[in-house]
Amino acid sequence: MTIPHSPVPLLFDSIPIARDASHPFSLEVPEHRTIAVLGDEDSGLEQLGGYALGLERPESGRALVFGTLVASLPEPERLAFRRRVGYLPAGDGLLQNLSLRDNVALPLRFGSAGTLRDIEGRVNVMLTAVRLTAAAALRPAQANDEERRRAALARAVAFDPALLILEQPFDGLTARVASELLELARGGESAEGARRTIFITGQEIPPLILRRLDQVYRLTRAGMLEPETV
Amino acid sequence: MRFTALHAVGLVSLLSGILSFLVISQATRELGRIGATDYIGTLIVVAIIRELGPLLTALVVVGRSGTAIAAELATNQVMGEVRALESMGIDPKQYLVLPRFLSSLVSVFALLVLFDLVAVMAGFAAARFNGLPGPRYFQIVLQSLSNRDVWLTVFKALAFGTIVGVVPSYFGLAVRRASTEIPIAASRAVVAALVGIFLCSALFVALG
Repeated sequence: MTIPHSPVPLLFDSIPIARDASHPFSLEVPEHRTIAVLGDEDSGLEQLGGYALGLERPESGRALVFGTLVASLPEPERLAFRRRVGYLPAGDGLLQNLSLRDNVALPLRFGSAGTLRDIEGRVNVMLTAVRLTAAAALRPAQANDEERRRAALARAVAFDPALLILEQPFDGLTARVASELLELARGGESAEGARRTIFITGQEIPPLILRRLDQVYRLTRAGMLEPETV
Repeated sequence: MRFTALHAVGLVSLLSGILSFLVISQATRELGRIGATDYIGTLIVVAIIRELGPLLTALVVVGRSGTAIAAELATNQVMGEVRALESMGIDPKQYLVLPRFLSSLVSVFALLVLFDLVAVMAGFAAARFNGLPGPRYFQIVLQSLSNRDVWLTVFKALAFGTIVGVVPSYFGLAVRRASTEIPIAASRAVVAALVGIFLCSALFVALG
């Protein structure tokens, strides 16, 4: 009997990201691992999330999510597939005309078959988990950085995805808050590691957080990945 | 919808009322001299209800809401909200464009009905002011109004509403990442929508 091979949650294969890099970017993010890649502002790391979700196409190479080239899927399938991945974009991407609560509820209202009551229940659970109940009625412009980041994370994990892609998730946060958000992102522990697979990009990550990640790389100007020393 | 339709009620009523009052006042006076007051009905139906009403209503909505739609969607784009929607598996066209499109359709139609009602009533006031009896005025207007005029008004409202909803949405979402593109997008959207409305109006005349 053969055990079916489960595809790697996230795979970047020979993608040119930085303008002056001589090496294309390649990385495999195995299941239940939390992997971070750090780089300068112009390193091109911020494009990786978009490539993985098929929001943009790389000039060459490919980004596979659970073995699927998302960008090649037809529009309806592509939209449906993205619900399997949690994504926290740089700058949070919250909708300014909605409250933090409605921002968290938005993907569930559009992408789940649950009843209104189910969705509201799920939203309440999410808001409590990210400690956002008191600020839930605020619009993003009225909330502080921390509250916005909490709301963006709650929205990213609304469908309880197996894979999370986080862009600059800890910028401007204290180590304590960053640590708390990382635990929420991991979604608990399993025998193999974190319950979710997490891929983080950013410029810097607090040292306290670095120690809790499975692997941390720094992208050099030449496009090489070097292990980051903690 | 509240901004596009409800908040435009005053402006549309004012424009319609003044336009109709001026045109009918002049017409009653001038046509009365040659005994052709019956043509007032044709004037109010053809010139105001059929042509100027849809055109001015659409121009008001484009001026107010077209710019707002383009600027709002461009801001959504620049702030990364459109990208965030796509990443959540939500179609931005369904979430952002469709409600604005439907709202524009309903708003232009509702405002056009209002425009025509105010125009007829202002024309009545003008006619009375210039000595034409009220019942006679309504008789002339109703005689001139045909089913074709009503349907033409409905089609124009739908066509102009589509232009007002779709063109600014297109220009708003075409913005990429720079906030300096927002006012340019708003300006281009209004110009393109105006050109579209005038061309469409000319097409109706050519086909009609």
